[in-house]
Amino acid sequence: MSSKPKIKELLVESACEHNKTKKGSCNAPTPGATTGGCALDGAQIALFPFADAAHLIHGPMSCIGGAWETRLTPTSWSGRDLTQTGFATDITTNNVIFSGEKKLAAAIDHIVTHYAPEAVFVYSTCVTAMIGEDIDAVCKHRAEKHGIPCVPVHAPGFVGAKNLGSRIAGEAVLRHLIGTKEPEKTTPFDINLIGEHNNTGELWRYRHLLEELGIRVLSTFSGDGRIASIRTAHRAKLNVIICAKSLVSMTRKMQEQYGIPWISCSFYGKTDTSAGILAIAEALGDANLIARTRALIAREEARLDEQLVPYREIFAGKKAVLNTGGNKAWSIASALQDLGIEVVATSVRKSTEADKAKAREYLGENAILMTSPATQQAKVIDDTGAHLLLAGGRSLYTAIKKRIAFTDVNQEKKKSYGGYDGLLVLAEDLKNSLQNPVFELVDRKAPWQK
Amino acid sequence: MAEVRRKSGKPLQVNPHKLSQPMGATLAFLGVDRCMPLMHGAQGCASFAKVMFTRHFCEPIALQTTAVNDVIAVLDGGDYSIVESVKNIHDKITPELIGVHTTGLTETKGDDLRGVASKIEVPLVYVNTPDYQGGLESGWTLTTQALIDQLTESCDRIDAQKIVLVPHVSLQPIEVEKLHDFIESFGFKVVAVPDLSSSLDNHLGEKQASLSSGGVTVAELKQLADAAFVVTVGASVKSVGATLQKKNPAIQHRHFDHVNGLVGTDALVAWLLEASARDTPPPVVERWRKRLQDAMLDSHFSIGQTRFLLVAEPDHLASMAASLREVGGKVSLAISTVDSPILGDIEADQVIVGDLEDAEKMRDAYDLIIGNFHTEALAHRVEKRAVMRGFPNYEEIGIALKNDLLYEGGAYFLFEIANAAERMREAQVHHERERIKLRGAA
Ligand code: SF4
Repeated sequence: MSSKPKIKELLVESACEHNKTKKGSCNAPTPGATTGGCALDGAQIALFPFADAAHLIHGPMSCIGGAWETRLTPTSWSGRDLTQTGFATDITTNNVIFSGEKKLAAAIDHIVTHYAPEAVFVYSTCVTAMIGEDIDAVCKHRAEKHGIPCVPVHAPGFVGAKNLGSRIAGEAVLRHLIGTKEPEKTTPFDINLIGEHNNTGELWRYRHLLEELGIRVLSTFSGDGRIASIRTAHRAKLNVIICAKSLVSMTRKMQEQYGIPWISCSFYGKTDTSAGILAIAEALGDANLIARTRALIAREEARLDEQLVPYREIFAGKKAVLNTGGNKAWSIASALQDLGIEVVATSVRKSTEADKAKAREYLGENAILMTSPATQQAKVIDDTGAHLLLAGGRSLYTAIKKRIAFTDVNQEKKKSYGGYDGLLVLAEDLKNSLQNPVFELVDRKAPWQK
Repeated sequence: MAEVRRKSGKPLQVNPHKLSQPMGATLAFLGVDRCMPLMHGAQGCASFAKVMFTRHFCEPIALQTTAVNDVIAVLDGGDYSIVESVKNIHDKITPELIGVHTTGLTETKGDDLRGVASKIEVPLVYVNTPDYQGGLESGWTLTTQALIDQLTESCDRIDAQKIVLVPHVSLQPIEVEKLHDFIESFGFKVVAVPDLSSSLDNHLGEKQASLSSGGVTVAELKQLADAAFVVTVGASVKSVGATLQKKNPAIQHRHFDHVNGLVGTDALVAWLLEASARDTPPPVVERWRKRLQDAMLDSHFSIGQTRFLLVAEPDHLASMAASLREVGGKVSLAISTVDSPILGDIEADQVIVGDLEDAEKMRDAYDLIIGNFHTEALAHRVEKRAVMRGFPNYEEIGIALKNDLLYEGGAYFLFEIANAAERMREAQVHHERERIKLRGAA
């Protein structure tokens, strides 16, 4: 039987908020007016952090060319970091005409021989899916031959966008890995972190706090993840989804199959981090644990507040305009508020209804929710007298024209602003922006301009 | 000259540096002013290309996709997605040109590009660039040919001062500008095709990435055929000469494999003197030649004792190897993305088509690495140093302004490489010293 997931089923995922308003339309991108990565991209992002597994793209170089070794998801795995190793079958015209299945099998053999991974993920792509390569059969044979899981991931780009791809990745892991091994021991406080990619080390900003409380991270999907532990994930007492609506279907199925309840958290900024840790303790339901958690939160918040004192003065009375998408629109806003910065406007251009409601709740009555930030933000800066624009690189020019400080929100792709300590990093970066003369200087008139 | 291995012989690429043909096509279209490159395929290919070039150039990149999905892939011959795309693009902006280039998916399903293009009213150029064939260089060249083929009007006049310059894909924006200005300083008018020098050169401006800004204009493309000469730089673009000559057989074609280093630049200057009927070049050219001579002597000691691994596109390999050879650098291994006729002429001990796994295996063959940003991690693994050149480079900024060619860039190139080689040896000596100290202590 094919392990291809039923795409339609994944699209109308009942627990997926994203789909309430957009039923089905996720699957029909507009020709000539579409941005964002394909399902393969999404599947890779979801699975690549497994550094002890090889990730083999069965397709041409377009599907991997510039996209491997992005270095965003660090690992503590002591073996060779396969997240930073690119594998592709680089199919040729010949393979398109005469099939590339033999090549794929040989590629898996090469990888197992030279890199000894704990598992191999094999990703189909548009061309290999189109010509009907049977990657399930190849994976099955090779898994038997080598005695390690070979997981087919059916997320060719033409089935949809990134979100769908990450759901498909979850599906593949659920089907081929989870429940295939028993943990050496279990504790009453075993949890899985689902959708935590450890981007820029985000996970490491809070995992030690969970451990201090006696909460054990049994497995992660998939930041700093291990194949051996995700195979035991079915024994967890709780699934914690980190800012990843696309993986709700996975946790819902785990609830059906294994009876594991799930909650959703964010670890961005002080308020959210505290709320997240507490939510986990409460979901685990142990009164003693909850009490210890409250104490830890109090201690961490006090420590953080003290460290933030020098920044408060700098940020007092400062107003920021935030132009970034999705859940970041409110999660970063919340972090800025933790720092004492007033967020006067945020973007809700790509937000779901739930995200919009949340943005309103975080920002309050008077804040402006921009539906078309690219055209609105300049005026909003004028009207509010904002001092700081946090946005993607494209908006830099607006900040320069308005001569206010700019911080690239995508900077967080390079360094982590998560957890309690991440807030200090964010504070330092914002201070540097606010104090940098470049934004005023760079657009000054040239000597020959009137 | 070199021992050449033209096929990898492996069933896969491990740590690949090869880039796809549609990516080369995208880049070529970005060298046309107010163009919207439109990749015909599922949405991911365009997204990967866009992300890569955005990060490499630190610039917003204009690129759209026909966003073919599974249903359309089976039912449509390309008409729907391309026609819809053109309509949707025109709803928002009015590009001077739409540059349709295909991908493996749309080639596999066999879309009739020419047929679709003939039904579309707005200015459009199409090119077939399946990604299971060729690579960055061929995508760039096929697109340049398509631009000329489909846009340039036939002509029987010649403007004796006009030169069409066709750079290979690995020349960075500033290099195209330097070359353009260099040739103009001999009294010519130059049109570069494609021209990244004003579109992706990191200049401050209001760029929303809705369209490419800067580059050769469509009007200029139409009127290329009155040029006296077409000058191609890089073996991969040599065939473009003939493409343009079809529009006017009176155009003379002059080809250079590269214009790097003393000998390479001398060849260009000799021809420019002849073509412009001058005895001497502009004074600044003479000064830079002397500086390069001096740079060669200053750098020869360091570079002359260094064994290099070069990792790049074929034409880029040829140019870098020539520069290094002139001062005694030993290119012990050159790894190319794809096969090319130029590989046999590269001044290296061994030239292979391969990946960075091959480089890792042959670690004993070289000291210093020159290649894209992936070679930095390679350098860590094999305990060497790397100097960044080629696509993609996410690690450094200012790449668009790196100039390695002609007398001037050649001097800067040698300095940078010699300094890197010295620092590498310095680190090795330091390392060695520490080891001896440790041994002494133990
Ligand atoms: S859309 Fe298809 S061909 Fe393009 S990158 Fe994604 S999987 Fe590969």
